[in-house]
Amino acid sequence: MNKENITSVEKLYYKTNFYAYRVLTGEQIHTVPLDEANTDYQEIQQWIADGGTVIDNSPE
Amino acid sequence: MTISKIPASGFSDAVNFRNIVINGDMRIAQRGTSASSVTSTSYNTCDRWNNFISSLGTWTVTQSTVVPTGQGFSNSLKMDCTTADGSPASNDVNILIQRFEGQNVQHLKKGTSSAESLTLSFWVRSAKTGTYTCEIYDADNVRYIGKTYTINVADTWEKKILTFDGDTTGTLDNDNANSLNVHFWLGAGSDFTGGTFNNGTWGAGGNNTRVSSSNVNLADSTSNDWYVTGIQLELGTTASEFEFLPVDVNLQRCMRYYNEINETNNSTTFIAGALDGNNGTGIAPYQFPVSMRAAPTVTYTGSFNCYVASSGTNKTDLGIQAGTRGLRTLASSVTGSTGQAVHMDFASGAKIHLSAEL
Repeated sequence: MNKENITSVEKLYYKTNFYAYRVLTGEQIHTVPLDEANTDYQEIQQWIADGGTVIDNSPE
Repeated sequence: MTISKIPASGFSDAVNFRNIVINGDMRIAQRGTSASSVTSTSYNTCDRWNNFISSLGTWTVTQSTVVPTGQGFSNSLKMDCTTADGSPASNDVNILIQRFEGQNVQHLKKGTSSAESLTLSFWVRSAKTGTYTCEIYDADNVRYIGKTYTINVADTWEKKILTFDGDTTGTLDNDNANSLNVHFWLGAGSDFTGGTFNNGTWGAGGNNTRVSSSNVNLADSTSNDWYVTGIQLELGTTASEFEFLPVDVNLQRCMRYYNEINETNNSTTFIAGALDGNNGTGIAPYQFPVSMRAAPTVTYTGSFNCYVASSGTNKTDLGIQAGTRGLRTLASSVTGSTGQAVHMDFASGAKIHLSAEL
């Protein structure tokens, strides 16, 4: 995953726990865990730093 | 013991796991045997090998059965140019890369006075003769060393051996992140070729010193292809015989970085669990066959049927919580009572892809 290919990023919750990002790249949907060693997680952080907005439909 | 039992190459061939490269013989291709229309950075066909491509041609990448005769190999990786680009822009690149975790290359003693030399050996053939660059790249300290090799005869397998000096500068992090890479440059723009090539010397002097100005542009014709196999990177100044690993060992090493659930499209594959809450979430755990390098990115194709007793609900919006050793699928709004057993059936063609690549 390259940050240039990211279309949207949404936080995923189970009950009230934020556990992953759902990322749309083209027609593919990826679930990216909250693990700093995951290179896709690193790309998402870069995408956010570049001004990307994460969709957050928190259940709380 | 008779003296005849000592191999001609001495005892270096007897060192197990001396090859730093994983899947150097291209036997494992969990993602499939062919990928077409490749124009950007991606993992295709042979496991662990990354096509790092930026605007330099269109490619079909194949796990090929064309191999050098009599060397014991079954497969090679083939790059076939399907749309040419004879005039690379300055920042265009095409590199075949394998990345190594820092914790797997501590024995190089990089950044110390005892830094080890490295020898890279491989078999290569191409329709395009000429000069190509190989590079060892230190991702922790942004340092690199390059050397060239020449393909002398078109469409003929040739074995190449390149030795790189140890680097007394820049230690490698002892962790599970990317620290060291091997790069096979197949084309590059002037941002990488425009300076004085850092030939056989470790440096950090700028990208334009990394690739020989004589490097071919493999993308300059749709007649071009490039095959490689038997890639071995090992300590020392000599190349030992290629270290063939059993397929199961090779596969398990690859699975640390990528694997698939229901890889054979087996309609009987399912994951079992239980329902959390009345008409709540069906939770089904799955343990990975091999601990992964990091919690993987999960991508699934197809749909899944979440069954409680004999009643199934088709789900295309699974939530998936993944760690390094396993995952659990979360199917919301499943009809049933809390604690009832559930099982997630893979619909025809459905797969879960797990990627913890570097």
